[in-house]
Amino acid sequence: MTSNRIQYTLLGIAVIFALVYLFPLYWMYVTALKSGTEIFAIPPTFVPNEPNWGVFGYVWEVRGMGKFLWNSLVIATGTMIITAGLGTGCAYVLARYRNVWIDVALFLILMLQVLPASLMITPLFVGFSQIGLLNTPRFAVILAVSAKAMPFFVILVRATFMAVPGELEEAALVDGNSRVGAFVSIVLPLAKNGVLVSAILIFMQAFGEFVYSKSIIQDVNLQPASVGLNAFMGPNTIEWNNIMAYATIYVTPILAAFVLLQQRIVAGLTSGALK
Amino acid sequence: MRRIMMSVVDGKGFDLILVGAALIFLFLFSGLPLLYNILMSFQEVDMFSLGKFFRPFVGLDNYRALLSQPAFWPIMWNTIVFVTCSIGGQFLVGFSLALFFNLNFVGSTFIRGLFLVSWVMPGLVVGAIWNWILAGDFGVLNYFLENLGIIDEKIFWRSDINYSLWAVIITNIWLGTAFNMILLSVGLAGIPEDVYEAAELDGANAIQRLWTITLPMMRSTIGAVVSLGLIFTLQQFDLFAAITSGGPANSSNVAQYWAWELSFRQYDFAKGAAISTLMIFFVMFAAIVYVRSTKHEVRG
Repeated sequence: MTSNRIQYTLLGIAVIFALVYLFPLYWMYVTALKSGTEIFAIPPTFVPNEPNWGVFGYVWEVRGMGKFLWNSLVIATGTMIITAGLGTGCAYVLARYRNVWIDVALFLILMLQVLPASLMITPLFVGFSQIGLLNTPRFAVILAVSAKAMPFFVILVRATFMAVPGELEEAALVDGNSRVGAFVSIVLPLAKNGVLVSAILIFMQAFGEFVYSKSIIQDVNLQPASVGLNAFMGPNTIEWNNIMAYATIYVTPILAAFVLLQQRIVAGLTSGALK
Repeated sequence: MRRIMMSVVDGKGFDLILVGAALIFLFLFSGLPLLYNILMSFQEVDMFSLGKFFRPFVGLDNYRALLSQPAFWPIMWNTIVFVTCSIGGQFLVGFSLALFFNLNFVGSTFIRGLFLVSWVMPGLVVGAIWNWILAGDFGVLNYFLENLGIIDEKIFWRSDINYSLWAVIITNIWLGTAFNMILLSVGLAGIPEDVYEAAELDGANAIQRLWTITLPMMRSTIGAVVSLGLIFTLQQFDLFAAITSGGPANSSNVAQYWAWELSFRQYDFAKGAAISTLMIFFVMFAAIVYVRSTKHEVRG
């Protein structure tokens, strides 16, 4: 009885912590639904007087969000394909063996993971402009973001492969499978969940990518939603309800995907990130 | 030819191709730019020589010019303040929450997981939301602080040179707390329960247990979390772009934003490369500390 009461008290405190922590998100949704005058009310209203649901359609139209989100989608999908395509096999080999060379490769990969994008963009931009990649700016961004995301992906997925028992693969080899056959039909299916969750994380990161797109893509028609949001927020803007509506449209799909996959993402992170 | 094919399908060649493809890609788009960056920092690079492969070498001139800029030391100081306060704040809040959620009550795992939404949101969206929360006249943070009696008059977070850096730090603490908490939770869960029970039987109170058991046993996790924090904080760019743009008057500018500004606002790629090189070596140093602190964990 008392133990139950303690449990629910703790749960109550936890909910309060979560509400305080997630207040900024709530504030985004509420502000988006307020009218242009209500957002400047003193004291601020915490529930909109007359929710203005039309704001989303309006902002979508006026800011041309379809185009921006499409570009974000292109960049995120391209990044996910390159990163998962090249990174999965690499992670598999790095998990399979234990020797000095593997340690060296892991160390190099870790070193590349920590390079800040805002510092790497200078040489990437100059190099890309010299080999003509700036003519296909979205592709250039995909390459740059993939290089940034791959080390993280490899480290997460390697942890997944480490959890696959080596005996299963050996048994498949004894049964006459080739290495390719054993990898494709035994190891990969067993590691599927970890690979998928990591790929989704990479997708989410690339969907919100900013610094490479901002620097490389000059043509407004090819820019992703992050750059569009940045352009929307001028220094003296007063359209905060519209900006928050933009942010809402941009972030809600990501939040929905996160809530659905929350447990898997957290499990994947906690097993992989520290190892 | 046949032997090579066989090796690819069924031998060492398979491993080499899988690792090689990724490593070559990384070398082309990460390693090579890194080396190119170092090279550029010793060259004269302007709009005219941008497309040329052979540019005049100027030795250490770019670094000298950088050091002689009046903004250099203030920006470096800002970087130090930004990094220390962000990591300190994220760690303190994250560790307290991790300790709390470690009490393992109904629903603790689910609610703890919800905190991570801050981490999956695009940086620009986080920046936009906090930009509005931190607004001077109509910002909701000022409203809360005034009602709680903490401040008497409104703070113009983004436009007051005394507060602009703090506007970004507060946002960054919010952004990074969840990730810190999750990693620290993993470390806490790894401490065996019976150690605590033994200490409790010996009469150790909660604070003594924290100091003599939890913190020492968490040493490698804390080391990893702090160095990861350092790495992530030095990568933070989006929040600066969304909230203050480094201003006013460089009061909230930090090295990683400045490097981008030099290259893409002033088109001074050589100086941008010079500051990037300096910072990259610093980040790599942090990464080596990180690898060392998790060494036994890397080896599994």
